[in-house]
Amino acid sequence: MPVTQVCYLTPIENPSSLPPMPANAIQLRDVTKSYGAHKAVDTLSLTVPSGAIYGFIGPNGSGKTSTIRMILNILEPDSGSIEVLGQTKARTANDRIGYLPEERGLYKKMKVASLLEYYATIKGMPAREARLEGKRWLEKFDLAAWADKRIEALSKGMAQKVQFIATVQTRPELIILDEPFSGLDPVNLEAVRDAILELRAQGATIVFSTHDMAMAEQMCDSILMIYKGQKVLDGSLKSIKDKYGQDTIRLRTDRGADALIDLPEIEYKRDFGNYQEIRVSGDSNDLLAKLLQRARIEQFEITRPSLHDIFVRIAKPQNEDHSHE
Amino acid sequence: MNKILAVAKAEYFVAVRSKAFLVGVFMMPIFMLGGFVAQILLKDQVDKADRLCVIVDQSELMFPLIQKANQWRNENEIFETEENGERKQVRPKFIFESYQSDQDLETIHQELTERVSSKELVGYAIIDKQILDTRRTPERRAIAYHTNTPSFRSLPGWLEYVVNRETQRIRFERSGLDQSLVNELSTPVKLTSLGLVAKVDENGAAQAEENDELRTFAVPIASMFLIFMMIMMTAPALLNQVLEEKTQKISEILIASISPFQLLMGKLLATVGVSVSLSTLYLGAIYGATVYFGFSDLIDPTVYPWFFLFLIISQFMYGSIFSAIGAACNEIKDAQSLMTPAMLIVMIPFFCFSIILQSPNSAFSTGISLFPPATPIIMFLRILLDPGPPLWQLLLGIALTAGFTVFCIAAAGKVFRIGILSQGQTPSIWQLMKWIVSK
Repeated sequence: MPVTQVCYLTPIENPSSLPPMPANAIQLRDVTKSYGAHKAVDTLSLTVPSGAIYGFIGPNGSGKTSTIRMILNILEPDSGSIEVLGQTKARTANDRIGYLPEERGLYKKMKVASLLEYYATIKGMPAREARLEGKRWLEKFDLAAWADKRIEALSKGMAQKVQFIATVQTRPELIILDEPFSGLDPVNLEAVRDAILELRAQGATIVFSTHDMAMAEQMCDSILMIYKGQKVLDGSLKSIKDKYGQDTIRLRTDRGADALIDLPEIEYKRDFGNYQEIRVSGDSNDLLAKLLQRARIEQFEITRPSLHDIFVRIAKPQNEDHSHE
Repeated sequence: MNKILAVAKAEYFVAVRSKAFLVGVFMMPIFMLGGFVAQILLKDQVDKADRLCVIVDQSELMFPLIQKANQWRNENEIFETEENGERKQVRPKFIFESYQSDQDLETIHQELTERVSSKELVGYAIIDKQILDTRRTPERRAIAYHTNTPSFRSLPGWLEYVVNRETQRIRFERSGLDQSLVNELSTPVKLTSLGLVAKVDENGAAQAEENDELRTFAVPIASMFLIFMMIMMTAPALLNQVLEEKTQKISEILIASISPFQLLMGKLLATVGVSVSLSTLYLGAIYGATVYFGFSDLIDPTVYPWFFLFLIISQFMYGSIFSAIGAACNEIKDAQSLMTPAMLIVMIPFFCFSIILQSPNSAFSTGISLFPPATPIIMFLRILLDPGPPLWQLLLGIALTAGFTVFCIAAAGKVFRIGILSQGQTPSIWQLMKWIVSK
């Protein structure tokens, strides 16, 4: 099955013709964007180091897409400055950026190969080179047989892969992927994930926005979380987890979640069925002593919070209040 | 520029390879010419059923004359002789029945109305007692024809002609005038419409070409329709395409690669390419047909460059307006409501072309041909109508339209830039104006 095979990226033919890669692929300083009275992005500053995989997380409507659109100069910020691949002038760097939007956009009536060629030529790639590159990527994703088929004939997963190819076929230095894994089955997901990692290995900087916290945790070097237009988390995964400390207890008892009723020191609890995750305000040993009197303990593990927990903790602080019972 | 051309090339080939284009190439002329062809083919397919009409001849003078004339008609005028010498009936036979009764007029009307309603009669005519009277008041009708099928004009038309002819003849006879002398003295004179005199020959005869109605009216009207047809085939399609790209989120990918203005220009160039290709195809076919049938001088070849110039200008102008509407709207329903005023602008030439045909160089014609949205069609129409507009008007029209087109493209570029990614409610005309004046 070739979908999981190693992807061989075509080396850039004349690297000396390209400007040198700056230390930071993206730098936003105090960027603000409003739509009428609604402030979508509020004095946001961020730095994406070159060559990194940078996760961009946040709940729906938090300002992620607006920020991405400003990076691509699709939208202009009301204030603040944006530097992309060392360029501050609008659209100067756009040909060096690959963009996969959250809502996929493919011409249904176009044939796969023609569509890839079109998307590559408007990025400035010569048509002949675009045809070769498109063909190579289609073979890589086991879609070569579909090159002359119309987009409307493809399955959702196939169309998703075509969209991904359209994003990366021009060998961009910066790749911005908005929910790249949505709609993919596990096999295709694995293929796209491998391709992303290999693009990074070739020197590309990857920014991807996702709601899949497990994927972000697996792949990202750094994470930025935006909430209500403002940055609430920014840094390496390790530093973020360090900040939240080892305050989470993973617990498994023979009474399940019933063992945790009427324990006021529990600040937050989440029931996964087979096990529960809790945070306590006092000494965890005191809690363990109480639990031993109530139930048979099968697992009691003090651990760091997952990215998912951190996300939920920030995005839904009111839920924590409800768990004080 | 390369990116604009990349968009134009892709959109052009998608358009010309589509089934809709191929259908359009063949179907549009069929629809346009189909009416004429159908009329020629169906001209003999008239309803030849006998038509019965009752004559209430209060003059007691006309019915025998009508009968006599009708007998001649039914024996001669309703037939055409075909090439093989066979006589073929091409018109319906008329049968007239005299109404003989002493009933009062109300009863007559009632009875005959019933017969018309039951489709036994096509109608009935009441001929006034004083049909020969020349001092007639409007209330006293000479011939009152009653029918429930007023669109069937051939019988009442024929009846009016015959009664008039016979009435005049009787009047002349009673006045003691010789009918044959009257006929001779009434011989009509004919006016021949000619062009200007090129030269006078040695016999003193003026050398001027006879004006041809086909060249004078048919060619200008057909050419005007061709530009209009091109606008209608491409501009609304452009609107749909932009709207589709917007609703299917393709625009976001495109705008991430090229500027909205580049995208708009690429689309407009593709539209121009499609319309020029189609027009070349049609004009080539028309030229071939005129040469084949020996009418090659029907169209002056110097008008072709003007045709393409005005076609290109109109495509840029209307293409930018329609694509801006597509970019501003989120649903085809909203686009249709915004499209109505744009369609009215496109239709301006059709509201006034008959006036322009009558007097192509009047103040009205000059004014409307210098109004940019109407210039491409109206100015081209004036070029085709002798003596044609003065050069300064032509140049002024082109300059004004070019300026207006640049304004349309710039305004559409702004609407495109803001509208192409906007979601939610479709903007009002006022909001669109704000988008246009925004920095």
